[in-house]
Amino acid sequence: MAKANKEVLYGLYDDEEVLLEAVHKAQEEHLEIMDVFTPFPVHGLDHALHLSESRLHIAGFIFGAIGTLTAFLFMTWVFTRDWPIIFGGKPYFSAPAFIPITFELTVLFSAIGMVVSFYTVCGMSPGTVNPTLDDRITDNKFCIAFDTTNADATISDQLRAFFSSTGASEVNVKTI
Amino acid sequence: MNQFKFAASHKAVTYGMMGLGVLCLLITFLIDDELHTRFWSNYLHNTVFFTGVAFISLFIMSAFITAWAGWYVTMKRVWEAYALFLIPGLALMLVLIIGLWGGFHHLYHWADAEAVATDKILQHKSAFLNKGWYTFGTLIIMGVWIFFAMKLRQLSLDEDQYGTTEYKYHHKMRIWAAAFLPLGGFTSAALVWQWVMSVDAHWYSTLYAWYTGASWFVSAMALTILTVIFLKFMGYLEAITEEHLHDMGKYLFAFSIFWTYLWFSQYMLIWYANVGEETVYFQTRQREYPVLFYGNLIINFLVPFFVLMRNDTKRKYGTLVFVSAVVLIGHWLDFFQMIKPGVLHTAHEVMAHGHDHAHGEEAHHAFMMGFHFPGLLEIGTMIGFLGLFIYFVFSRLEKASFEPKNDPYLAESLQHHV
Repeated sequence: MAKANKEVLYGLYDDEEVLLEAVHKAQEEHLEIMDVFTPFPVHGLDHALHLSESRLHIAGFIFGAIGTLTAFLFMTWVFTRDWPIIFGGKPYFSAPAFIPITFELTVLFSAIGMVVSFYTVCGMSPGTVNPTLDDRITDNKFCIAFDTTNADATISDQLRAFFSSTGASEVNVKTI
Repeated sequence: MNQFKFAASHKAVTYGMMGLGVLCLLITFLIDDELHTRFWSNYLHNTVFFTGVAFISLFIMSAFITAWAGWYVTMKRVWEAYALFLIPGLALMLVLIIGLWGGFHHLYHWADAEAVATDKILQHKSAFLNKGWYTFGTLIIMGVWIFFAMKLRQLSLDEDQYGTTEYKYHHKMRIWAAAFLPLGGFTSAALVWQWVMSVDAHWYSTLYAWYTGASWFVSAMALTILTVIFLKFMGYLEAITEEHLHDMGKYLFAFSIFWTYLWFSQYMLIWYANVGEETVYFQTRQREYPVLFYGNLIINFLVPFFVLMRNDTKRKYGTLVFVSAVVLIGHWLDFFQMIKPGVLHTAHEVMAHGHDHAHGEEAHHAFMMGFHFPGLLEIGTMIGFLGLFIYFVFSRLEKASFEPKNDPYLAESLQHHV
């Protein structure tokens, strides 16, 4: 996927509490945050960024339900129509014996389905190269990024002022 | 508000509930068969159910203390109060023990000397299933539980009063709690075998104690959620937020699944092996108690599973109250069907003394209110026991502040966030 290059203005913070306050302040000042990067999940950040709830679990439920039906119906078909065999004197259709495998396939389908959905939605396929703003955001830095591709000087100044007033330890510009 | 006040009007309601319970027990006693089977089995059923809730509360608390859990301490007074219900629980059990020695009830086939004399299986089990073990097992084991419940309660109250930042009381609590875990785990199994499983004296299952424990756990968690939400509505427990309720909802969800897992494990192994001595337990229930047998799975598995699966249903009072009420009744019904078929069978055998064996078997098949399904008297009795439980718990809650102010984990619990 060919993407137009973006100019990104980003500030790095040393502490997640400071970052969280900065995010709140950015919301108050109606600054449009492009993204926030943290090395670990920060409590309350989703809420502060007004992110809507992930729909991944709905996908998980649907994949799980497909797994349940697949396993149960397939075993029913095999043991009653296709190749009926008597095991231990039980009837051909023996629901209790199907339950463990049904359970396993439910878990398998929902797990694999969710992984595949997640990677697809995130645009991550094998061979994808994702540009990073700064390697340290996977280590000890917390980052707020603004898209300044089409921004004029006043907005850039406003953003820099925002970073310095909220305690960012570094402010950089990078084109990705 | 941190200091609970048991309002006079609420007290009156619990008295009313207890009155209803006594009335229902009396009516049951009067309209009963000559052995008073329905009366005694209702009494055993409710005693075991509520005593179990008290025991498992103590167990949960000990597990949390041992695991260094912090989130629950703003509500630990509720579980402390629950655990103390072991004391009236023992008093209730004493009535059953007296009935056992006096021959007033015929709940247990193994207690019937005539039956044991002609029964090889009961003779082999008589080393464990006998009146002496039943009595001393109950007295000693419940005595130990009560000791631990009171010890933890006392240390917790002392901590409120004299606690320092050295957390001396908390360290002591940790030792007592850790000691209780294996003790409570093993001894509860022994008591469950004596109290409930031996109702089906010929039958046994090694999963039974786990299964019963899971049932108690879900009941205790459901009752806790209901109590906490009630107390919040009364203006107490402001420190408990939807974050805490979310965690309790997760416990309710997870342990409902755990219960189902044990239910299925027990069922499937017996079904698969197909050994007559074992399958008789499920045969009886599936054929003669189908509503309870299948309904059990619907209300104790499907309802909590599908309702509590979503994130937000664990955070809303409405759905939590609904599911808690449903599974509380569900697990009460679960105990109902653990106890009733065996008791009814024993009663028929006792009444058929002198006749041939097959005669007793035949009498089973007619529908009997109070055995094949709980009637109004059973529900009234349950409300009575619930009234006693609430009365006792609320009067214990009055004795201490809700906020354990010197608990090392208080701050963590106050800002709990999931």
